[in-house]
Amino acid sequence: MMIPVRCFTCGKVVGEHWEEFKQRTKEGDENPADVLDELGVDRPCCRRMLVSHKDLVDIVAPYQ
Amino acid sequence: MSEFDVEFIDRSEDDRDARFVVRGVTPAFANGIRRAMIADVPTLSIDELRVIENSSVMFDEMIGLRLGLVPLTTPPGEFEEGETVTLALDVQGPATAYSGDLVSADGMVAPADENVPIIDLKESQRLELEAEAVLDHGKTHAKHQGGVAVGYRHLQTVEVVGDLGEFADDDPQILRGVIEEDGELVPTEEFGNDLRNRYPGKEVRVEDVPGAFVFDVETDGSMSAPELVLEAVDSLYARADELEEAVQL
Repeated sequence: MMIPVRCFTCGKVVGEHWEEFKQRTKEGDENPADVLDELGVDRPCCRRMLVSHKDLVDIVAPYQ
Repeated sequence: MSEFDVEFIDRSEDDRDARFVVRGVTPAFANGIRRAMIADVPTLSIDELRVIENSSVMFDEMIGLRLGLVPLTTPPGEFEEGETVTLALDVQGPATAYSGDLVSADGMVAPADENVPIIDLKESQRLELEAEAVLDHGKTHAKHQGGVAVGYRHLQTVEVVGDLGEFADDDPQILRGVIEEDGELVPTEEFGNDLRNRYPGKEVRVEDVPGAFVFDVETDGSMSAPELVLEAVDSLYARADELEEAVQL
């Protein structure tokens, strides 16, 4: 639904970087790996949190 | 109380990450510091909510969990264990409620990260609540952990024992961490973690430096990395004193 606040595995706060990551990869068309490096998301466990996330709030919103 | 020799290797600008060498400690004490950083240093974290209005698409409990995971700045020594701080959040849609929208009743306590999205609010949705942040240990709940991915390795030395034979296997010699070379500390990333790049054509032997540990500390923002380490060491000493008192006749 919403981006998890922290990485499930290590506990780093990843929610902080979501909007910038989304904006730069979707609209800026940048390479996600480079964006993650610049954001300081180094570990694979934190990177998958951002890479594999899909916002679903807009899809759920009409049903409540 | 013995003295330890501490030397920084790198330290981030915001002081949330640090890497340093500690000399003159036993492996048991090094591990004690690591464990204390994870489980023994208390931090503030939202634990209870009074929801006034929540017409968002998430249940109160889900909002509560997300708010609990937001790190709050916790100045060391200012709060007692179990002490609470009240925070408030009031966002009217269409908007996104961020961790930065939390308003704290105490000037020393604020969300460490301000851009964590809590919940997306649509037209006519509203989130209004009061939250109680409580000071507790990482043992109780992972949200109270100050340290994130805290670890240590032995400091190592590389000794050249001879030349490689003409037809010797050219296998990678991967080493991760920090090596000491004539008193100088060299992170292995400098030579691509591969000893072949630093000692081409040489046969090398890697050995641990006794009593020297390279700590990698990253905090969630509730306090700086040096503060976290000092708090962890203090908590170890406090527990040792407690034990001494308990066993005295």
